[in-house]
This record gives sequence, C-alpha cells and structure tokens, in this order.
Amino acid sequence: MNLTIENLTKSFGQKQALNIDHYAIHSGEIIGLVGNNGAGKTTLFRIILDLLKADTGCVTIDGILDGQPVSCDTAKSEEWKAYTGAFVDASFLIEYLTPEEYFRFIAKISGISDAVMEERLLQFNSFMNGEVLGQKTLIRNLSMGNKQKVGIIGAMLHYPRLLILDEPFNFLDPTSQLAMKYLLETYSKERKATIIVSSHNLTHTLDICSRITLLEHGVIIKDYDRDYALLTSEIEAYFKGNINI
Amino acid sequence: MELSKAWLLYQIVAHHQRLQARRHVMFERNRAMKIFGYIFVAFWAVYLILLGVSAYGLFSDRALEAFDWIDGGMIWFLILDFFSRFAMQETPAQNIKQYKLQNIPTVFLLHTFLLRMGLQPYNFFWAFFFVPFGLMAIPQFYGFWGLVGYIGGWWLVFVWNSYWYLLWRTLLNRNYLFLAVPVIIYVALAYFGIFFNEENQWLFNGTIRLMRGFCQWHPLCLVIFFAMSTPLYIINYKLQKVAIYVEIAKTEEVKTFKTHNMTFLDGFGIIGEYLKLELKSTMRNLVVRKQFISGALCMLMLCGLFSFTDVYDGMPFMRVFICVYCFTCLGVMTLTTVMCAEGNYIDGLMVRKETVLSLLKAKYYFQCIMLLVPSLFSLMPIIEGKITVFTALGCLLFASGAVFPFLFQLAVYNDVTIHLNEKLTKSGRDTKVQMLMSGAALFLPMLLMYTLVECFNEDVAATAMITIGLIGTLLHPLWLNHIYKRFMKRRYQNMDGFRNSR
Repeated sequence: MNLTIENLTKSFGQKQALNIDHYAIHSGEIIGLVGNNGAGKTTLFRIILDLLKADTGCVTIDGILDGQPVSCDTAKSEEWKAYTGAFVDASFLIEYLTPEEYFRFIAKISGISDAVMEERLLQFNSFMNGEVLGQKTLIRNLSMGNKQKVGIIGAMLHYPRLLILDEPFNFLDPTSQLAMKYLLETYSKERKATIIVSSHNLTHTLDICSRITLLEHGVIIKDYDRDYALLTSEIEAYFKGNINI
Repeated sequence: MELSKAWLLYQIVAHHQRLQARRHVMFERNRAMKIFGYIFVAFWAVYLILLGVSAYGLFSDRALEAFDWIDGGMIWFLILDFFSRFAMQETPAQNIKQYKLQNIPTVFLLHTFLLRMGLQPYNFFWAFFFVPFGLMAIPQFYGFWGLVGYIGGWWLVFVWNSYWYLLWRTLLNRNYLFLAVPVIIYVALAYFGIFFNEENQWLFNGTIRLMRGFCQWHPLCLVIFFAMSTPLYIINYKLQKVAIYVEIAKTEEVKTFKTHNMTFLDGFGIIGEYLKLELKSTMRNLVVRKQFISGALCMLMLCGLFSFTDVYDGMPFMRVFICVYCFTCLGVMTLTTVMCAEGNYIDGLMVRKETVLSLLKAKYYFQCIMLLVPSLFSLMPIIEGKITVFTALGCLLFASGAVFPFLFQLAVYNDVTIHLNEKLTKSGRDTKVQMLMSGAALFLPMLLMYTLVECFNEDVAATAMITIGLIGTLLHPLWLNHIYKRFMKRRYQNMDGFRNSR
C-alpha cells in the first residue's frame, strides 16, 4: 500500500494551508506527522481522505482490492475507501448509537459478520479497558477519551491497509496511551499496514514511528528516516526554537 | 465598587448582550432566517399598530371609554405577553455563568442583568399597539401628558410582567410542572376578577382605575407599581443567585440505553443498517424526534379530521387540501432537512464507499413505509364514500413518486448541520432553499390536483396523479442515484457547510 502526493496545494482565503510538491509513503511505514498548530496536519488528512478539495495536485493510493492491484486518485474514485480506515475527530462518530451498535454498523457496512466482529473486538480489550463496551450509554455520553477509543477502533475494525489517525493520543489516559502505542505497533507488524498519525505528543510519536515528517505552515520542512538519536534531538530542538532547520 | 467602574462594567455587559442578540447562532450562517426574523418583527409591529387603530374604532362608541375597555382587559395582555416571552427571554443565570470567574462581584452582575431585564426592548414592543391607540383615545380626556403617562404606565405593567415571567421561567427550568402555577393564577384571576360576579368585576375595574391613575400621574400608581415589583425583584434576585450554581453544575442527564440490534432489519442488508440508523436517529435525537412527532401529529390530525368528521364534506377545495396533506405533511416536515442530521457525522460516512447512496435509499423507504399510516386512515373516508380509492391511491403514489423525489433534491443542497439535541429554534433549520422547497412541496400537489378536479373531474385527477406517482416510485433507484451523483459533485461545498455549522 503506497500513498503518493503530487503538487498538492490548499489555501483558505489568502492563507496557504498546504503546499507539498511531492511526498511518498511506502507500504508498512508508520509515519508521524508533527508540527505546531496550524501546520496543516489535519488539512492534509482531510485532503487525503477526500473530505476537502485540494486547489491543485492529487493524492494517489495504491492498494489491493479483491486480489487485484488498484491505484486510485482519492478525489476521483471511491475504491480506496475499502482498504482505508481513518479517525480524525468526533464527526466520524454516530453519537446517538451505543459503542456496540456503532461497531456493528461499521462491521455490517464493511461486510464483516457479527462473529468476526466480536472476535476482532477482543483484540481491543486492553485498549478499551472495560470503559467502552457494556456501558449502556450512547457515544455522545461517553467521555472524550472513550469517544476517541470508539473512533479509533471503528477505523481499525475492518483491518484497513492504510490507517490514518489524527491526534490519536489526545484525551487518552496514560494507560490507554501506552495501550494505543502497543496497538499501533502490533497492528503495523501483523497486518503489514501503513499508518499515518499526527500528534503533539513527541515522545509517543518518536517511539512508534519509522519516519517523521515535520510540517510548518503547510510545507514539509523535514522528512526524517529513523535515525533515532539525531531525529529526537533535532525535533526537540526545533520545537524549542533553538535550531534553524 | 466605585460608581465609574460599575458604570463601565454595566456598559460592557450591555454591549455583550447586544452582540449576543446580533450574533445568535440561528442567524450566524443563515441570512434568509435573519431577514425572515426582521420581517416577522416588522409584521407584528404593523399588525399591532393596525390592531391599536381598530381597537379604538371598536370600543369608541360604548358605555365606557375605549381606553377603559382596553385597560379593563389588562389580564389578557399580561397572559399574551407572558407566553410570548418563552421564545424571547433568557434567565440571567444562563448569562451570568460566563462572567462568574471574572473579577466582578456576583451581586453586581445579578442586579445588572435584572435591571436590564426590565429595560429590554421587548418590554417596549407593545408600544406599537398602545401608542396609536393612546394617541386616538387619551389626549381628548387627559391631554398630551396624560398620553405620556398612559404609555409609560403600560410600559411599567410589561416591565412587571417580565419579572413575573422570569420567576416562573426559572422555576420551570427545574420542573415543568411549575408552569401550572401561573396558568392557574391567570385562570383564577380572569374568572373571579371578571366573569364570576358581573356586579363586582374587581379586576376589570381595578385595572381601569390604575391606568386612569397613570394618565393623571397619580403618585399612588407608582407606589402600587413599586409595591408589586420590589418583592418580585427581590424574589427573582434570590432565585437567580441559587440558579447560577444550578446552571454551572448542570449536567446532561445521562440515560441508560440498551443496545438494540433490530435484527428484523438484518435481512435488508446494507439498506437495513441505514434503516436502523434512521429509526435510532428518530428515537434518540431530540430535534429529529420533535420533527417527526410534529409531522406525525399533523398527519394524524388531518387523517382524523378527514376520516371521522364531516367538517369538509361538500367543500371540494378543503377535501383536496386535506387528502393531499395527509400523505405529504410528514414527508415535508422531515425531508426538508434531509442530510442535515447526518452533517454531524458526515466525515465518517464519506470515508466509506457509497454509504450516502444507501442512506438515501433507506430514507426513501422509511418515508414510504410511513405512508402506510395515512393509507390506513383513508380507508374510513373511502368506506364512507367521501373519496374514491383512486383519489387515495393517487395521493399515496403522488407522495412517493413526485413529492418525495422533489424534496430529496434538498439532499444535494442542504449544507447546514442541525444540532440534534438543541431546541428546534436553535437547531439551525430552515434555510432559504428549505423554506422554498417545503412551500412548493406543500402547495404544488394541491394546486395540481385541484386544477385537474376543477377542469375535469376527481377520477381524471386521480388517474393523472397515479400515473405520475407510479412512474416516480418505480424509477426511484434512478433518481436516487442521480441525486447521489450530484451530491458527490457538491460534496466539498456541503461538507464545508456541515463542518462550519456544527
């Protein structure tokens, strides 16, 4: 599963939100997208997911559908949706359902039987930490952290080959953050999935990602492969404002 | 607190209140609604002026003076004013919350908001009635200053009523049953003060004397006003003081919900899943539920009128009117905001393939299933011979094959998210296009059927509606697909709108 971005630009009024000439993500990578507020992370996610129209350029996702390789421009085809899972914010959740109903809904529209869904949910047990299932409450009445968990599990339930998560560590308690890290690492290894996460939590991002991309004002200013020592010090220095990268 | 600082703070609070009114969520994104709001106010202003003028004409040649008749009926004005405030007036506790952590004494805030409640523009609104009426009725007896006293007196009456309303509105926030108290008081006052003993209409006569006193600038009237307002002000002050903490500590009552799998819909595949969503959305979201209940009640009421009464026998226009509306009103009231509820989770739908198409199909089938209700009700007038089977069938098929496709076009253009659990008035409904389409969906079928009935006969009209409706119903996969394709073309614009109005 490869993802390629070409000549992508997006402006909101006079303000340029995104300007990426070329950016490629390869199969099995875990990408960490970091940057300050307004760097363009969520905008990039929305454009990748065809939730926002780019001014120019395109996003192409290559994948395998029904055993056949396919290549889709995300704005022109819907095929990529079959092997992509994403959670950006609460607008991905149908909040008047209970978590169980939501998972069942996702499973049904993804062609997953009840038995398989229940089996898959077992893998998320430690992540849910007994706070999501069996609560007899609607998603809208869950805490932000538990809503986040429902959204992330909903994005992963159909075992997507490309997983996109915006700020997945937000609202999670420390135990759930660690469970989240473990979940993503295991998922990437077992499913050979490509994962893109954005986060303000540098420690977690640096821990799990094989590649870190630094965005500033919509431009990729640095793309680090995993040279851990250099990467950590440079990124920390960047955010401290001590170094001119 | 120093007087200059108090004045400064008062001005800031007043400025915030003006901004709050101007930037009300209902008007923020909806220009049509804003214009409609102004037209609504202007309409009532003109209406009250006309009423004021005609009231003088109506009462001018009777035993009592015209103003006595109006003043004697003060209780009716107070009742009208009281209930109209529900749509306009918020309680200070709701507004003080945001200032609570600022370095402003709560006592000062409470007095400011209570004072401003008395000075709010709505208390002047009745002047549209009393100024023209007073101009014609008062100067001949009490001169210019009498007129000023008269209008001022009525203004004070409405100021008092705003505090009276505030008291019950605050208590109502705790328990709806409190509404019964003012209702009982009003009924008791009207009954015992006016109707019980015609020889001693103490309320009627008392209010006449009060207002005559205002015309004469009698100090006793002001004493009465302050004697009645001060305790009310103090009670409100104490009540609001407690209400602030109730407001701050307010949490949504979390009900427990059992997971419902609605397995009876499993056989319908993906469409069945969206039908479940539609049902759950209707049951669990306040706004959707209210919309549905209003539509269903309206439908049931019309069906009931048509089936069990003979009110509209021999009135062809009304017969057509009710017959068509029985079948279309629920659709009109719920489909006008088609996709607006989904605006809350549109991103989640859009990252999955063709979900919107399945959703639209489920919505269409849901509406068609609901047509069974008027169909059942129409059996009664069919048996009684009020309408033919053809007419009922014509209305049924016309609804499913013409009215629904027409209303479903809004799925392409609706781009304002409705807030699922707000009050209907705050939920962000009724854009310009929605208002136009719902109006057209209500009147065009009736116009068509009425024209056909008038030009030909009821059978021809029914046959035409059956033909049009049948074609539309059978072709629903085609037109729904077409709507879906157009929705996808406009998706960025719509998603942007949904996101901005969440």
